[in-house]
Amino acid sequence: MTIYEELLEHDLNPFMLFDGDGKIKNFNKEAEFLLNFVSPKELFNLAVSYASQTFGFRREFISLSYDKQTFYAILVGYVSDDEIVLRLYKEVSGTKMLKIDTNLKETNIFTLIELSKSTTLLGSNILIEEIYDVSIPLLKLNVNEFLLSLNNIFEQIKDAKNITLRVYLKTGEYEVINKKKYKIIAIEFVSKDKIEFYPLKVEAGKNDLLHVTSNKNSIKLELPLIV
Amino acid sequence: MTKFIAASSISQQILKSAKLSADLPINTLIYGQTGVGKKLLAKEILPNALTINGKDLEKLIIAKQIDLATHSEIVIVNVGSVINVEEFFSHLKNIKLVGINLDKNDRFNQYFAIKIEIPSLEERVEDLQELIEIYKQEAMGIYNINLSLKNINLDLSGNGVTLKQSIYKSILLQSITTNDMLQTMEMYLTKKLKDGKTYRDLLEIFEVPLLKAAKKVYKSQLQMADKLEINRITLRKKIHQYFGEL
Repeated sequence: MTIYEELLEHDLNPFMLFDGDGKIKNFNKEAEFLLNFVSPKELFNLAVSYASQTFGFRREFISLSYDKQTFYAILVGYVSDDEIVLRLYKEVSGTKMLKIDTNLKETNIFTLIELSKSTTLLGSNILIEEIYDVSIPLLKLNVNEFLLSLNNIFEQIKDAKNITLRVYLKTGEYEVINKKKYKIIAIEFVSKDKIEFYPLKVEAGKNDLLHVTSNKNSIKLELPLIV
Repeated sequence: MTKFIAASSISQQILKSAKLSADLPINTLIYGQTGVGKKLLAKEILPNALTINGKDLEKLIIAKQIDLATHSEIVIVNVGSVINVEEFFSHLKNIKLVGINLDKNDRFNQYFAIKIEIPSLEERVEDLQELIEIYKQEAMGIYNINLSLKNINLDLSGNGVTLKQSIYKSILLQSITTNDMLQTMEMYLTKKLKDGKTYRDLLEIFEVPLLKAAKKVYKSQLQMADKLEINRITLRKKIHQYFGEL
């Protein structure tokens, strides 16, 4: 690897090189992480739609959000019809040092899900297929805020016909809190139909340990597994 | 009634949720129409807690007349009557609360992690039947009378509250003896005479129920006049006189 390639590899911003058909030819570590949440096709389409009319590079300040990551600009460039490069500039100004809340209580996450589900969906005809990783142990969390977030999700899916509810430990992903690594639990609601999701207004900045993300047909609540 | 009735599947689910929330360090809001059993459900969560009206508790806090440190659990009735919500809940941070209200008010959404809605009795048929049976047995025991359900007028406008009132009233009215009736009439007429009513004014107290009963029992005015042994023209005049009440 040349020093330029090393520089790209270690860059905090994702970088991807596509061939003319949209296949990824090269990418760095950050791009590898990003590809967990967004398809290469979507990123290729993004690059093509922002490419300059003639050969060259074009930088555009746009706001993008994939899972927990947000980007404030992209750089698209091509010098032949065979390759196109895309670089996304990560938003870092809002990053905070995570702290463990003092109101954490040890509890069973499945009890809380059951409680939130049974009270919010009372009288609803929704069919929920539950796929739970029951090996998740008792964990410490802020019960109140967790339930408020979960209630908000159940509230917004209650008119759906079918929902698949998956609770699992994410593999290969960790949350770093006070220099300690914690596994991440994901509670994912997936519907065949489109889901309109509006996060709780108080959620922003209130509890940094709960992350709620959504796309067209799914909502995901993630939290660290603190035991 | 000391226990929340859970004969219908929806009530069983509600009771299960209430018991789950009892074991967790969270506040619960119970809401629904008057008489659906909110206080009874609150007792299932916090059986030994102080029960107090929201407005009264707010006054006591402002006047510093309550030592909140001595309470670990409180049931707040009519929590919607609290005026300064943020200030109010800031004093209750370390206390497990159950709030009771007629509706799910967004003003205190963030203070209650769990919200349980109790549907009306009409939506909980099995609970309604069980409640009717309980109140009927209670009332029949008190008034020493045996009645079938078809003779009882049920009022569900205020759920359990009006249901109980209507059952007790129906059974009481049907257990009345001639002597009770005469005594009741005497008390009523005494009051009305003091208000300056005349013989003619008070005659309708006797005539209206008599004519209503006769209309139910006999098929025609001819038969009514015959059986009541009054002149047909007099009967027509009376029916015309009480037209709106019959």
